[in-house]
Amino acid sequence: MKRKILIFLFFTIATSLFASNQLSAQGQAEPWTPQQLLAPADLAKVLNDPKAPQPLVFSIGMQAIIKGSIDIGPVMMSENLNSLKQKLGKLPKNAQIVVYCGCCPFSRCPNVRPAMKLLKEMQFTNFKLLNLPDNVKVDWIDKGYPMNE
Amino acid sequence: MNNNLFMKILILSIALLLFGSTISAQSIGLEPGNKSPEIKLPTIKGDTVALSSLKGKLVLIDFWGTWCSPCVAEQAELAKLYNKYKQSTFTNGKGFEIYGVSLDAKKSNWENFITMNKINWIQVSDLKFWRSPVAKTYNIQALPFNILMDGNGIIVAKNLHGMDLEKSIAKFLRK
Repeated sequence: MKRKILIFLFFTIATSLFASNQLSAQGQAEPWTPQQLLAPADLAKVLNDPKAPQPLVFSIGMQAIIKGSIDIGPVMMSENLNSLKQKLGKLPKNAQIVVYCGCCPFSRCPNVRPAMKLLKEMQFTNFKLLNLPDNVKVDWIDKGYPMNE
Repeated sequence: MNNNLFMKILILSIALLLFGSTISAQSIGLEPGNKSPEIKLPTIKGDTVALSSLKGKLVLIDFWGTWCSPCVAEQAELAKLYNKYKQSTFTNGKGFEIYGVSLDAKKSNWENFITMNKINWIQVSDLKFWRSPVAKTYNIQALPFNILMDGNGIIVAKNLHGMDLEKSIAKFLRK
């Protein structure tokens, strides 16, 4: 009996852990892998180091707050998604690319998924999503990381 | 220590304690009992409305943005509360006002939403998104966020939504 309970518990925990890692709040697999999430501290370090190779950072949300980032606008709107597509079309597939929105947690953000899907569809090989779990204020501005003027 | 001296020190200590608590209750801060920090921001038309100009009313400061889906969903509820209570008399203020502070970045998004949804309470914004100095002053960690303050600008409730918000407003109705 004890063994059965243990097996049941193991599967319940394993299943829920798997589900929470793989699925979004909407119950769909996210269009990024955990390895594609870039920690804000890591990006800040690169941006603060003039000798480090700089990635192309695209703001795909409301405002390009991060230093050097290119303002695309919210890509939930098709015209902004098209503008991102055009800019990406001029880049080599192995370009180092970072995208961020930062309005709100990923579960509520309407912009991160269209951008990551587009990068994947266009077969880029070196793109990351900036991991801003709360928003760009809490996870970037409040930390004192570099910002556009 | 004689009894007389002891009584004097005791009375002095109590007086200091009471005086001290009065001072802290009126100090500017973000907790209930504090005086809410001043906000002076432009409306869509460009004229500045200061939060302090609403003195005498029960005021809900609503921090929101058109890009924030729960905030957008909440605007309809705020409209109901506004129409229900705007003329009411409260124990701590006459009339109810909403001071909407948008963290939008683009004026067109903000203006279109307000026009389309016929929002008729005060709306201000510096259009600086999360870089807005008010987000820092009010230590906003996420949207939606709100503060209810009385006619003296003292915070009486913080970040209440739905039924909890209405209950909090109704609690101050003068019967």
